[in-house]
Amino acid sequence: MADDFMKPRRKSGPIKLSTLSAWLVSLIFFLPIAWIIASALKPKQYVLNFPPKWIFMPTLSNITDAISYGNTAKYFLDSVIYSFTAVALAILVSFLAAYSFSRFKPAGTDFLMFLLLSSRFVPAAALVIPFFQLFNLVHLQDSFVGLILFYTMFSIPFSVWILKGFIDGVSTKFDETGFVYGASRMHVMFKIILPQLRPGLVAAFVFNIIFVWNEFLFNFQLGGIHTYGIPVGLFTSITKDGHLDWSFVASIGTVYVLPLAITIYAFQKYLLVGLTFGTVRGEV
Amino acid sequence: MLGLSFNDYKLISSNAPRYVGLSNYQSFLADQQVAHAVNRTFVFLLFAIIFQTTLGILIGALFWRNDKLRGRRLALTLLFTPMVVTPVASALFWKLILDPNFGVGNYFLQIFGVHKIDVLTSSTLAFPTLLVVDTWMWTPFMALMTLAALGSVPKAELEAASIDRLPLFTVIKTVVWPHAKFILMLGILLRSIDAFKTMDLSLIMTDGGPGDKTELIALSLYRYAFKSFNLGYSSAISVFLLFIAIALTSIYLYVLNLKTRKET
Repeated sequence: MADDFMKPRRKSGPIKLSTLSAWLVSLIFFLPIAWIIASALKPKQYVLNFPPKWIFMPTLSNITDAISYGNTAKYFLDSVIYSFTAVALAILVSFLAAYSFSRFKPAGTDFLMFLLLSSRFVPAAALVIPFFQLFNLVHLQDSFVGLILFYTMFSIPFSVWILKGFIDGVSTKFDETGFVYGASRMHVMFKIILPQLRPGLVAAFVFNIIFVWNEFLFNFQLGGIHTYGIPVGLFTSITKDGHLDWSFVASIGTVYVLPLAITIYAFQKYLLVGLTFGTVRGEV
Repeated sequence: MLGLSFNDYKLISSNAPRYVGLSNYQSFLADQQVAHAVNRTFVFLLFAIIFQTTLGILIGALFWRNDKLRGRRLALTLLFTPMVVTPVASALFWKLILDPNFGVGNYFLQIFGVHKIDVLTSSTLAFPTLLVVDTWMWTPFMALMTLAALGSVPKAELEAASIDRLPLFTVIKTVVWPHAKFILMLGILLRSIDAFKTMDLSLIMTDGGPGDKTELIALSLYRYAFKSFNLGYSSAISVFLLFIAIALTSIYLYVLNLKTRKET
């Protein structure tokens, strides 16, 4: 009797402690971002208070100000335009490539796949130089066409890796059955194989959007005033009107971070496959 | 890029690229500043990997044990957000937090009786601060990899181990490690490569300073390319970095192959 009574108590003790610590860890990691969001919600006069003001009436005016200020809205729009177009293009191209790699296995497939990843090995600053020259040569600086072409290329390696993994997982029996019934290659690819790749397509799409959305250096160097995206907007926000306005920086930061956090929440299943360049598959 | 590295090519002069053979590489090897930056980057890499892997494994294991945690999805979202925020943004955020005059970081230091300091311009603290911020950004990634690695361990083997009442250390060594090591090592590899490329962080937070205390090699590379427009020279540096990355990858592959061969 006493034993039965003791058992659940002994169990619940450590579990509660670990629950608590798990939440604590998460909150600690989120704290800096929470602080930025809090700074954005603070009335302007309190942001630079020291010691910090903990209790205040939250206001949205900083954020609305930041959105209506100068180019902020345009930075967002630019980011949306080039990231979605480029990723959609990249996924189409990658699907064709991944299908060929998976089904025809051309000579040197492994090497080619490795070559695809190699762009990840060098610092972006090194890659930006040749692109800078190329863009000068063909007059593509500060144009959406140029940026979209670049980001398509930027997204392809990851998409090919991720989609090849998923296509390898679809049995070739599907292809064969299709051919037996007289389907064309295109029909097999787009009507039979493609629908089965949904998780892969979602992961490739979401994470390429995040990568392109976050990309700073190329946008900064290859783009211009007409095509700057949101990271450049953040970077230049520190020199707004010649002085540092932290309310403004924090507000833009908040507007930038929130969609990302929501995306992570919504697509958590795909996070792993996304952040390991498609080399690890599994769920968290 | 490879081609450029053999040329004397500066964007500010009107001269066309001129073939100079290996001279970019020679001046690169003789350059003390670059040598220091490379050293510093290796130190950075080493500490970053050690901290992030240790913390990441602990946190990953914590969440793995708590797979029925209330609000787990939200907690994981909070945990993972730092790593998807672009380094430019994180660097700005930390600048605000660490500001010497009104930053909340200094407020906490004062509570513990330390007087206000500007950690980003302090010659002793700037580098560790950069490490802390990098650890904040990338520990979640290692935690994620740990979760994936632990998830790849077959449940049946774990149950068998718990029925046999094996001590924790033995379970880890004989059941968990053989399955988990691949993904974990992959995580470490990806982190090493990325840590070697760290640039945005030190560009915005400290601009390599004070002096050259936080000048990492990727930042030098950026400066040579876009401040002094010495493209030939910066290409030579990037070729060198590419070789380091390939070397790291090969070492990793070699170690893993060796281990599997021993076991079979």
